[in-house]
Amino acid sequence: MKKIHFKVNGEELSVTCPPAKTLLDVLRDEFDLTGSKECCGKGECGSCTVLIDGKSVCSCLVLAGQAENASITTVEGVGLIGKMDVLQEAFSDEGATQCGYCTPGFIVSARAFLDSIDYIPTDDEIKTALGGNLCRCTGYTKIIKAVQTAARKQYATEETVV
Amino acid sequence: MSKHTEEIQKLKSKQQLKWVGKSVKRIDGPEKVTGEQKYKTDLKFPDMVWGKVLRATYPYAKIRAIDTTKAEAHPEVVCVLTHKDIPGFNGFGIVTPDQPVLCEDIVRCTGDAVALVAAETMEAAEEAIKLIEVDYEPLDPVIDAESAMIQGAPRLHPDGNIHSHVTIENGDIEKGFEEADYIFENTFYSPRQMHAFIETEGGWGIMEKDGSLTIHCPAQYGHRDKLQIARALALNPERIHVYSSPNGGGFGGKDEITVQIYLALLAMNTGGRPVKIHLSREESVIAGIKRHSFKVTVKTGAKKDGTLIANKVRAVADTGAYASLGGAVTALAVEHASGPYKIPNVDMEGFCVYTNNGIAGAFRGFGVNQVCVGIETHIDMLAEKTGLDPIEIRKKNAYRQGELSSLGHVVGSSVGTIETLEKAKESDLWINRDLYKSQGSEPWKKKGVAVATSFHGVGMGLGTPDYGAATIELLEDGRFKVGVAIEEIGTGNGTVYAQVAAEVLRCNVDDIVVVQGDTKETLDSGTISASRSTYTGGRAIATAAPNMISLLTEAAAEILEVPNADIELADNKLIVAGDENSFVNYKQIYNKLYEKHQTTRVEGHFYLPREKEELKNSGGAPHHLYGYMTHVVMVEVDTLTGETEVLHVVAIPDVGKVLNPQGLEGQSEGGAVMGIGYTLYEDTLIEGGYHKTKNFTDYIIPTIRETPIIETIPVESNEETGPFGAKGIAEVVMIPIIPAIMAAIYDATGARINHLPATPERIYQAIQATKKQTLVSR
Repeated sequence: MKKIHFKVNGEELSVTCPPAKTLLDVLRDEFDLTGSKECCGKGECGSCTVLIDGKSVCSCLVLAGQAENASITTVEGVGLIGKMDVLQEAFSDEGATQCGYCTPGFIVSARAFLDSIDYIPTDDEIKTALGGNLCRCTGYTKIIKAVQTAARKQYATEETVV
Repeated sequence: MSKHTEEIQKLKSKQQLKWVGKSVKRIDGPEKVTGEQKYKTDLKFPDMVWGKVLRATYPYAKIRAIDTTKAEAHPEVVCVLTHKDIPGFNGFGIVTPDQPVLCEDIVRCTGDAVALVAAETMEAAEEAIKLIEVDYEPLDPVIDAESAMIQGAPRLHPDGNIHSHVTIENGDIEKGFEEADYIFENTFYSPRQMHAFIETEGGWGIMEKDGSLTIHCPAQYGHRDKLQIARALALNPERIHVYSSPNGGGFGGKDEITVQIYLALLAMNTGGRPVKIHLSREESVIAGIKRHSFKVTVKTGAKKDGTLIANKVRAVADTGAYASLGGAVTALAVEHASGPYKIPNVDMEGFCVYTNNGIAGAFRGFGVNQVCVGIETHIDMLAEKTGLDPIEIRKKNAYRQGELSSLGHVVGSSVGTIETLEKAKESDLWINRDLYKSQGSEPWKKKGVAVATSFHGVGMGLGTPDYGAATIELLEDGRFKVGVAIEEIGTGNGTVYAQVAAEVLRCNVDDIVVVQGDTKETLDSGTISASRSTYTGGRAIATAAPNMISLLTEAAAEILEVPNADIELADNKLIVAGDENSFVNYKQIYNKLYEKHQTTRVEGHFYLPREKEELKNSGGAPHHLYGYMTHVVMVEVDTLTGETEVLHVVAIPDVGKVLNPQGLEGQSEGGAVMGIGYTLYEDTLIEGGYHKTKNFTDYIIPTIRETPIIETIPVESNEETGPFGAKGIAEVVMIPIIPAIMAAIYDATGARINHLPATPERIYQAIQATKKQTLVSR
């Protein structure tokens, strides 16, 4: 057992657990952040995607000890009901979620992607950016559109701010 | 005309639909996109223990003995359970309960459960499972359905290996073939597709202080699960409460019992501590049901003018170790094997056969995916032989409403096949197909465009109960709580329920609270399967609504001191007819009813319409209702590697009135991509009874990169019996795309694939074979 410290969604947190426990299990079991899901446990599906220091990773493949002192963002950190991120609004408005189990992973991956660009991405760029997230319900079409809508909104807002 | 139809006709004729037919946003969208929605496997209860299932070591073996001593001695183990600990009937299965809850003397597949453990931690449960000693006598597994049918094959079940045999005959098949100018005969093989829902099977079992049992488990028919649990545990079903919604995906894969009985059994043995099971993906692959792989031989006879005159089909389905819904899948396959056509002479039969290849059961499309390829491929071959247009041949043979189907029954419900084919013909992709095909990205990559059409029954067919029920309750704050047991598994049916309720009650969609998948609070309304939930739930709500309106009217009349007849339903209120200023709102009505200690809850019940007579030996055919669909697709095949990409899909469904266009598109897009996976990539490989496929590392489902352009162009044939004219959508959306992709590969390369999935290897070899033939003929 080891005491491990993280910054999770802006909050300083620590946990005492075996250092080999996965970050996903820590987030879900210790912090009750259940937005991140386990689906394959092998880094194939992206349902457990979180940001570690701004970079999107599969939290099922990261051990708690490896994330010590890192800043972690989960889907709950991207936005919650009442204060949703543009991506979450777009996914909800445009029907880009069906069963919804994969959706948090998509939101986090898409957030990291939009943070890395400053324009409205093409279909192909979105397909590359979200290629690591599996969805079995939607056929992805509305996800592509939702990411573009969010980018359009975000880009417009940023321009206004500048 | 029923009261329901009258009410709806009135609303429709005035064209005053406010919610129905609009892309109302999903009511559960915000919870899903923020991760705030708690799935059953996200729940947490204090003082919990972890449950784990011991699966069989061999695909087919006798059990000589089970020794749990060492596992029980593990310091962190709470209980270890075997077949001896089952208080009731040791079996489950939707139709035939032939699957043991925990195996006693024999195992028939590697997904079989032999023992259960509950322990303080997941790790301890895993350790304890390994400490259980099972003495097996391995037997030679039966690994092929046709071999299983031969006399002398090892008998996997007491009644033999043929679980069911269904037939449909109409006309005179021999005469039909005699009259035919062309006869096509081919055999098609289909893959053992995996549902690959993103949330694996899991949940919670809790023995409450009052002795009742609570099960939280994502599922597709909580009310039936309750009965299956009660039977195995010898409990009063009224003392079992199942919470089965929301689901992280179903597609039929959670229609059968998954872990509910294990949860219940463990919960009875943990001294009141809640128990959780959540299968790893690897365990889900082994234990979960799959799509039946089929071998289908089809012989089709046709005239020179394109008239289909005879169709003979023999389908053999591998249901694996247990029946689950295999009999029904096989029956549906046979019912649909001659397509949405009026072929006068048919002779079709299907066998559902036991093997030791895992377990197969319900899966979106339910047998039709496997059989639609035969008739559709033969129509394309006929088009090529005769030079006739493939769309015109289909139109010529398609039955219209009121005509006889190939089964020989008059189809009384709405039929949109011809309209969908006309829309296909008018589509840009079809009109300009030669232009698109000429624009290859590389010289060795060839494009092809093709079309296919199909259909799918809505509801259960004959011989199975099929009913809907809804409750509507006026709440203290003036909103309405609408209860329909049919689960939310991703389809957005809850949003449609809110739309229908808001429309008939003339309130805002935000004023409807929907409750689903809760056996305590909702009435049994059947499964979320068979493309039935919009139709059934919608009708149930529309049936309950007049009862609520009567209740509201009486209370309003009392408050406003006028006769009932003077009260009129208006938007968000009830008024004295002709006087908008004399009104009461729903909150006032609630208060009035509360004062009078009167219930504010009403119910609506109805039975789905069905045909009068079942076709003999058909296993439930015909259905009363069908959804129809045409797909046009364009593929590009790399002729050097066989790799194939679907570039463009035009999806043209006839599902009756579209209640929510966004939801319909979502189904259409998801179905198309799942159909692409079925046709090109997906197969659960089992060798010698052992799964070679383990996880998503070796089971490839389409990613976002494989998503083509998908256009959805609905044809809205009005179905008189449906809620606002709606039928069902969820299954037909993945059916015609399968033969359409196969035909497009042929259009691109001249190679016909009869063994799915059409992997690069298979396509490459088929292309090579066409080249060889050319050489020989020279």
